Amino acid sequence: MIQIKKILSSKYMVTLVWVLGLILIWELGATVIEGTKRSPENVLPHLHQILASVFTTNKVNGTQTAFQIVLSNGGITLLRAGIGFVIGAGLGFLLALIMNLFLPIEKILFPYLMMIQMIPILGMAPIVLAITKDINKSRIIIAAILTFYPVATNTLAGFKSVEKEKHELMYSLAASKFEIYRKLLIPSSLPYFFTGLKISAPMAITAAILVDTLQGGAGLGTVLSQSLKHATTIYIFWQIVFLSAIIGILSFYLMVLLEQAISPYKRKKKK
Amino acid sequence: MVNVVNFEEEFKERDASLPRETEIIIENLSVNFPDKDGGEPIVALSNVNLEIKQGEFISLLGPSGCGKTTLLRTIADLQEKSSGTISVRGLSPREIRLQKKYGIVFQSPVLYEWRSVRRNVCMPMELLGMPKKDRTKRVTKMLELVGLMEFGEKYPHELSGGMQQRVNIARALAIRPEILLMDEPFSALDEFTKEKLHEDLLRIWQRTNKTILFVTHNIQEAVFLSDRVVVLSPHPGRVSAIVDIDLPRPRPIQMKETQEFNALVSKVRNSFEGV
Repeated sequence: MIQIKKILSSKYMVTLVWVLGLILIWELGATVIEGTKRSPENVLPHLHQILASVFTTNKVNGTQTAFQIVLSNGGITLLRAGIGFVIGAGLGFLLALIMNLFLPIEKILFPYLMMIQMIPILGMAPIVLAITKDINKSRIIIAAILTFYPVATNTLAGFKSVEKEKHELMYSLAASKFEIYRKLLIPSSLPYFFTGLKISAPMAITAAILVDTLQGGAGLGTVLSQSLKHATTIYIFWQIVFLSAIIGILSFYLMVLLEQAISPYKRKKKK
Repeated sequence: MVNVVNFEEEFKERDASLPRETEIIIENLSVNFPDKDGGEPIVALSNVNLEIKQGEFISLLGPSGCGKTTLLRTIADLQEKSSGTISVRGLSPREIRLQKKYGIVFQSPVLYEWRSVRRNVCMPMELLGMPKKDRTKRVTKMLELVGLMEFGEKYPHELSGGMQQRVNIARALAIRPEILLMDEPFSALDEFTKEKLHEDLLRIWQRTNKTILFVTHNIQEAVFLSDRVVVLSPHPGRVSAIVDIDLPRPRPIQMKETQEFNALVSKVRNSFEGV
């Protein structure tokens, strides 16, 4: 009995129940739609149909299967999102540092940062495209812009959350400003920095896919819109839905792993 | 700048027969805090005079609002004085701070949670620019001193409150400060841990021959630990008495049950004014 209780209360159990619940609802929906719609795969296909489309060897465009198309375009999108994410994270951290060093800069810049954040991506994308005149660059820049804000604000909050006593300890040891940043502020803001990264990693990927849809070329979003316009099989769309969800979740956990690798005390805290 | 690590010299037993030099001289010290609403400034300390000898264990004792912490912070150069003079070894508190001659122990351990115990103790030595080899040796020595040899690789959150405070003390002592400033270091600990740390602190003090300024609101604690107890009274913060504690050393915990001890506790208690 106790054993069963233990299993039921473990966090894997919660995940399992969630996944099973989702599958159940999905399949129920698919069954209903199968009986009522003329082309149910456009609305909600069965999961096994999607799975079958992943493993099928039928070529969709003469050379590639649906899954091969999704994977190759997924790689391209992921690369763009990744480059944008790294640039955005780097700039976000740097800006937080500058804002913390110079209060006037924080006062001047912060409202603009918030404004940039409030413009919808789909509104911002054409502007960026008009400026850069290159869709691939724009895709990277948009991913960077989206990453930038959560990282900058969280890191800045991290700098500001350092307790007074820790500052006083450094002061009493006559530490230089550089030493204070290197030994106190930067290490203690890292958890905040990673919070920013965890928020923005899935966002960067979503943004990259969204911006893909604006123009042709390669990328998940491009094939996604082709699929929706029935230029290719609709199952490409469904595969992308699942793949992007999986990538989004994985990108979050990648940040968790990265944080644990950089801050060993976090790893121990978990236990 | 780099301190030469010489444990033998540092840890020589206290020789009571040696004459002690005056280390800290405080004359007519006043500290005012400006009133937020622009009214009369609040007098935190008024006209404090105090001389402290090298190697003395001094307690600053009083209720909250008596300025004991303010006095410590002013000596530490964490607080500006309003008038009067403080001279530490002939220099100003700021000069002593810039020479990294103060070891400070706050009430909360203020450990860096991302650093292991060893690296926490190591931190001030990094600021001092000590070579790595010396740092490693010294960290080991410090951990031995506070009895945390097996806990070097642990992180602060894995330690009890008492152990964290030991790390705090080890870190403060790591750079061989001339003066150890302790601001209610044990007031958040339970009674048993506190007694153990009292014994340990006295042992460490005996071995290292540091001047210790110890802020507390606990009369028994002040009497048990100190050579002299500086009694501060509030409104305005001022020194109302300085009581010599002539109990013999070393002081075992049982001393707290003796008549002499209790007589001194009463004497200290009776020297408060306006509480």
